[in-house]
Amino acid sequence: MLTTRRRVVASAVILTGSLLLTSCGGSDGGSSGDGKTLKLWHYEAPNSAMGAAWNEAIKEFEASHPGVKVKYEEKSFEQIQKTAQMVLNSSDTPDLMEYNKGNATAGLLSKQGLLTDLSTEAAKRGWDKKLSAGVATTSRYDAQGVMGSGKWYGVPNYAEYTMVFYNKDLFAKYKLAEPKSVDELTAAMDVFVKNKVTPLANAGAEYLAQQYLYQLALSQADRSWVDSYELYKGKTDFHDQAWTYAATTFADWVKKGYIAKTSSGTKAEEAGVSFIQGKAPILFSGSWWYGRFQDEVKFDWGSFLWPGSNLTLGSGGNLWVVPKNAKNKELAYDFIDITMSKKIQNLLGNKGGVPVAADASAVTDPKSQQLITNFNTLSGRDGLAFYPDWPVPGFYDVLVSETQKLITGSATPDAYLDALQKAYDNGVPKK
Amino acid sequence: MTALRRYPVLAALCLAALFMVVPFVVVALNAVKSPTEYSQNGPLSLPDGLYLDGLKDFWERVDYSQKLVNSVLISGCVAVGAAVLSVLNAYAIGIGRIKGRTWVLAFFVLANMLPQEALVYPVYYLSKQAGLYDTRLSVIIVFTVIQAAFGTYLLSSVLGRFPREIIEAARIDGASRWQVLWRIVVPVSRPTIGVLLVFFFIWTWNEFLLPLVMLISNDNQTVSVALGVLQGQRLMDATMTNAAALLGVLPALVFFLVFQRTLTRGIAVGAVK
Repeated sequence: MLTTRRRVVASAVILTGSLLLTSCGGSDGGSSGDGKTLKLWHYEAPNSAMGAAWNEAIKEFEASHPGVKVKYEEKSFEQIQKTAQMVLNSSDTPDLMEYNKGNATAGLLSKQGLLTDLSTEAAKRGWDKKLSAGVATTSRYDAQGVMGSGKWYGVPNYAEYTMVFYNKDLFAKYKLAEPKSVDELTAAMDVFVKNKVTPLANAGAEYLAQQYLYQLALSQADRSWVDSYELYKGKTDFHDQAWTYAATTFADWVKKGYIAKTSSGTKAEEAGVSFIQGKAPILFSGSWWYGRFQDEVKFDWGSFLWPGSNLTLGSGGNLWVVPKNAKNKELAYDFIDITMSKKIQNLLGNKGGVPVAADASAVTDPKSQQLITNFNTLSGRDGLAFYPDWPVPGFYDVLVSETQKLITGSATPDAYLDALQKAYDNGVPKK
Repeated sequence: MTALRRYPVLAALCLAALFMVVPFVVVALNAVKSPTEYSQNGPLSLPDGLYLDGLKDFWERVDYSQKLVNSVLISGCVAVGAAVLSVLNAYAIGIGRIKGRTWVLAFFVLANMLPQEALVYPVYYLSKQAGLYDTRLSVIIVFTVIQAAFGTYLLSSVLGRFPREIIEAARIDGASRWQVLWRIVVPVSRPTIGVLLVFFFIWTWNEFLLPLVMLISNDNQTVSVALGVLQGQRLMDATMTNAAALLGVLPALVFFLVFQRTLTRGIAVGAVK
């Protein structure tokens, strides 16, 4: 009895000891600058448009660079967000990495000197020509890390924008046509409310609600309004005509039952699922839903840009960035170049993404064609107006909680705008 | 009469058990659904038939067997290491009654209450200096210390009430301090140490933040970090997340079932005294 127990203990000790020893040799030090490996990180799912396109790009890259291996690792969005600064400061950096665009993310890293300046490469390889002005806004950051001007620190492969998704079957059931103006839209929503259907899918606990609001404001605004709000090129007054219209209209829509009062606590996933299930006839959200709706929606559906508005939410997609400490920068540039090629861009378009440099004619799927045509319309009129939470760090949470109050009716539109003004003024960088 | 009094308690227990089990059942249900089925019928519907592609895809996508090895390695080393460290510390504090032991204990409790977010940067810089950044050893060391802080606190109070007569008898028989520890104290408090081992293992298994920050390469990652891959920036893959959660929970569950007897014995020992 005693001896067996001892033997168990002894073997356990030996086992852990040997395990400890093996765990010491865990790190292989990463690739050195031998030009033989490209260490690549991104966080797109393999079945998404970007994931599929980039997998193809890896194959293409290895074919055109014999002897070079792509060491690809799929990361989680959260891990890259939380650890980018630490990783880029160490010697274990990847050579090329997908990173979130915006002042608080890519802008911050560029300001800290952790990213490589891509300006010469962008000019030499013509990336700057391929990207439209609105899309390129998030690629360039000035010395303060503010987007819109300065050096190139990232290159997006795709774009994103918001649109109205609608259930054609439900519209047909109540004999409604695709709304061409806000009046037609509200008339259609009245019909739904009369038939006890809540027309708009909303998620008060996440980004959806604030995007409705910002879109309402954008329908009354122009480019200079956006520039002063997002790029600090002027003073932003939340009690101006656009914001006042947005807040009062939104509160009014809740009152009229277009938006459910109970949606103050729901998540984007629930809103999306309620559209897929055919419960909510209209969902206003971004192109990131497109691929999933193509796969999972059983009824006939369509999409259109918000009626009566030149501007809508959207921007260039996430960026390829090359870390300052990367060891194989030349390979990284080559890889970006391949992802910008027509072949990869067309593939991205056919998989339900919004490519930035594709042949519209080469995209054969009719739904994808519609997505890209709408985007071309939008970028033709310089209509990408970014997102409401971008200008100020932490503004997302303020917008969520304040908009929730607007949905439940515990704050008036006026008080709502006051709260936003205060948070915005506190957070805007002082010049 | 006693039966009458027992039934409400039984009913309450059943209800509580139900509440504990329901989330697990929902996870298991959704793990075997196809994404389309989930979107069409919602999370609470019963699946039509088994759809195991979610489980399979996830396993291959993140190279799950490698993550399992990492998690077992890290949790196992931490559990054993922290338990040994706790016993040694607690022997000095609880039985050796060193000077200023209340202060030492207070320090350990404090270390235990420190939020991990506060540890992230110091641990990052130290491990980078020591050349241990992105190695499993760094995580093992950090968690051994953290868990041992709790273990020391708990074991010290247990050993503080250790019957002195036994130790004195052993001393009179000529046992050295070392012999007292290994021949007397450890065998007698074995149930408590067993419980600590199980807890350390499961707690370390479920740790997320520090492994996320410290284990950069996919080859070194743990199970709980691998689950994060499925939460995208704006979209989540609900069915695959459930499949992954099921895979993540199972090993800890198996471990618990295997060591369940140790657990109950340890708790029962405390109760009788």
